[in-house]
Amino acid sequence: MLLLASGIFFYMQSNPIYIFIPAFIILITWYAGIEIEKSTSPQKKWRFYLLAIIVNIGILIFFKYTNFFTSSAFDFINFIRHKIFTTTATFNNNLLINVIAPLGISYITFQTIGYLIEIKRGNYSAEKNLGHFATFLLFFPKITAGPVERAHHFLPQLKQANAFKYSNISNGLKQILWGLFKKLVIADRLSIYVSAVLGNAEHHSGISLITAVIFYVFQMYADFSGYTDMALGFAKVLGFDLMQNFNRPLLAKSVTEFWRKWHISLSTWFADYFYNPIAIAKRDWGTWSIVYASFTTFIVLGFWHGANWTFIVFGLLQGFILTIEFITRKTRKNIRKKIPAFLNNIAGVAFTFSYFAFSLIFFRAKDVSSAFTIIKRIFTIKGTIYIENPSIIIFSLSGIFFLILIEVKREYFNSLFSLYNNKNWFVRNCYYCILLMIILMAGVFDGGEFIYFQF
Amino acid sequence: MIKLAKKISIKQGYVYLFLKVGVFLLLAFFFDFILGSFLSKFYFKQTSGWEYRTKFSIEDTKADILVFGASRAQQQYNPLFFEERLHQTCYNVGRDGQPIFYYYAVLKSIVKRYTPKMIILDIENEVFKEDQSSYDRISVLLPFYKNHPELHSIIEQKSPFEKFKLQSYVYPYNSMLFKIAIGNTEFNKKRNIDINGYVPLTRVLDEQIRNVDLSKKYVIDSIKVNLYKSFISECLRANIKLYIVCSPYFFNSIGSDTSMQLATEIAKRNNIDYFDFSKDKLFLNNSKFFDDTVHVNVEGSKIFTNKLIDSIIFKSQKQ
Repeated sequence: MLLLASGIFFYMQSNPIYIFIPAFIILITWYAGIEIEKSTSPQKKWRFYLLAIIVNIGILIFFKYTNFFTSSAFDFINFIRHKIFTTTATFNNNLLINVIAPLGISYITFQTIGYLIEIKRGNYSAEKNLGHFATFLLFFPKITAGPVERAHHFLPQLKQANAFKYSNISNGLKQILWGLFKKLVIADRLSIYVSAVLGNAEHHSGISLITAVIFYVFQMYADFSGYTDMALGFAKVLGFDLMQNFNRPLLAKSVTEFWRKWHISLSTWFADYFYNPIAIAKRDWGTWSIVYASFTTFIVLGFWHGANWTFIVFGLLQGFILTIEFITRKTRKNIRKKIPAFLNNIAGVAFTFSYFAFSLIFFRAKDVSSAFTIIKRIFTIKGTIYIENPSIIIFSLSGIFFLILIEVKREYFNSLFSLYNNKNWFVRNCYYCILLMIILMAGVFDGGEFIYFQF
Repeated sequence: MIKLAKKISIKQGYVYLFLKVGVFLLLAFFFDFILGSFLSKFYFKQTSGWEYRTKFSIEDTKADILVFGASRAQQQYNPLFFEERLHQTCYNVGRDGQPIFYYYAVLKSIVKRYTPKMIILDIENEVFKEDQSSYDRISVLLPFYKNHPELHSIIEQKSPFEKFKLQSYVYPYNSMLFKIAIGNTEFNKKRNIDINGYVPLTRVLDEQIRNVDLSKKYVIDSIKVNLYKSFISECLRANIKLYIVCSPYFFNSIGSDTSMQLATEIAKRNNIDYFDFSKDKLFLNNSKFFDDTVHVNVEGSKIFTNKLIDSIIFKSQKQ
């Protein structure tokens, strides 16, 4: 009850009236879940299922995509009028709505859709307790930017008595500290340079833009995984385990592997409820079923991030490379056999990083033409690197170095000496104190909000 | 029996947790104190750079004439001309990128120590514009929080949590590590010439004059306006001769800036002398006196400072 109340209170901080939107979603989904499970007639099951899905997707589309669809439609009509009817007159889009998407709406609806699909498939039973169901969706550490939690993973934890556990609190606090470090020391520091350069790309040289794009990859990772660490840490303190969202994605050796390690809760959601059903439904197409499923999934996944063509291009780029990797998997395997493993790994990590960095240009740009301007300038505009304040660069590079060091250590040398999980209490706590001191000394306390809050 | 054992174990868990948290906090306080004291020592030992200039302005200067403002003060008013022509010591306390919070804080610290004879306050377009970055920039004053209670009310404008964060000894030096390190070397002295706080600009602008529309409306920050009023009343109370100046721009202004209108009105209401060089023909017709469109270069500074001194002398003779 207390958890639900805190979730509602947290939600109402952004706009109190908006609490009615998740409340409506919760009621409809909860009721539909029970009816789907209870109904013996497949038609009735299907009707409840469809109704709840339409309500959920409808709310998401209304708040997040209405303006995009109407604007695109008007742009298309005007384009046709100009090209075919050669008229200069344009229709103005009068259908734009002035609404702000409710907090975490994309995360809430994806969790409810996953829940409904699982009940419809008969894999899990519907939650009878409305309070528990509401707590699952309004659990405050994950409201704003996930993880996209699964009901069958979270709800059983709610039913257990969450007795006090020293290890939970200790591990949770450690994870929060590490998340804070990533957010304040790395992400927000990098964002100073990234915003200065990518926000004014038309004034910067190719080398500055490349630097900013590389920084943006680290910023994005530190920001989002930092948030996730804090969310998971808070949940752990309260006695809950949320889904892991990151597994050192920047060390992935292929883009396919990258998507198994990046935003795991969302990518597995898409795999379970979108990619696999499409690939299975179209299995008669052979290889093309995978190509079709990859493209469709990543276009939708890109679009999930926001109502902008830039996100669709971002998704298309992911779909494209995954297809290429799928088609060439045997050839690449044969090539890999002839090259030393470490060289293979380095080349794989470098390629994956570069490709993801390239696709993030679209993700970051305000529109597609701005993204192309950045790409063009990277290859054509010579000049010196932009350094307004050397200490920002030194702090940024130090942060990146520290992050890579920790990630490589955890990936390849995890069994070696560890400060974070050292057996000696004093050594371990000295390390946490040092992390805290670095946050106080090098953290950016005036930084912006988390990047993924907007989605 | 099992329930009782569980209860005891939970109770023991809490005790264990509180003990460990207590020891951790002690350890963290120790680290914070040691590192903070180390940073503080080297911060106040600097001999060059921006932080040194702030420290010198707040704690050391005893100059008769002080120049306040942002980059347009720091890079345009040469104190040597004031000293030569008015036979009084002069220091330029202006700091690049700093808004009214900084000027007022420096003034408050200075009047606590001594009373300067004359203050020149450079104001610029959009000086009262509501802008979050102005609040973020208060961070340069954080090292003075502990020993300068007169600055508390200004520093606490930064955020509602500032006074809590400032319980740490390290936090006041946030993001300053490399600046402090460099400030303790000779590097800045070689890089930037600093003439009693004045930092000359040497480039020569080579472009045609353009029109700039200043009539665009924006939100006025009432806190900034109040600080400006307080700045004036602080000078009046201490009987310091205050001149408010708008230095030259290299553009033709269309309309007038809201902040500037407000600033001149307040100055007039308080009988403060106000000099406006923003439409001075000599500067508008000569891009060679500028480093960029809003800062005069070393040559322009020489002419501008002398013109301002002429105006001050003329005004004081008239009075």
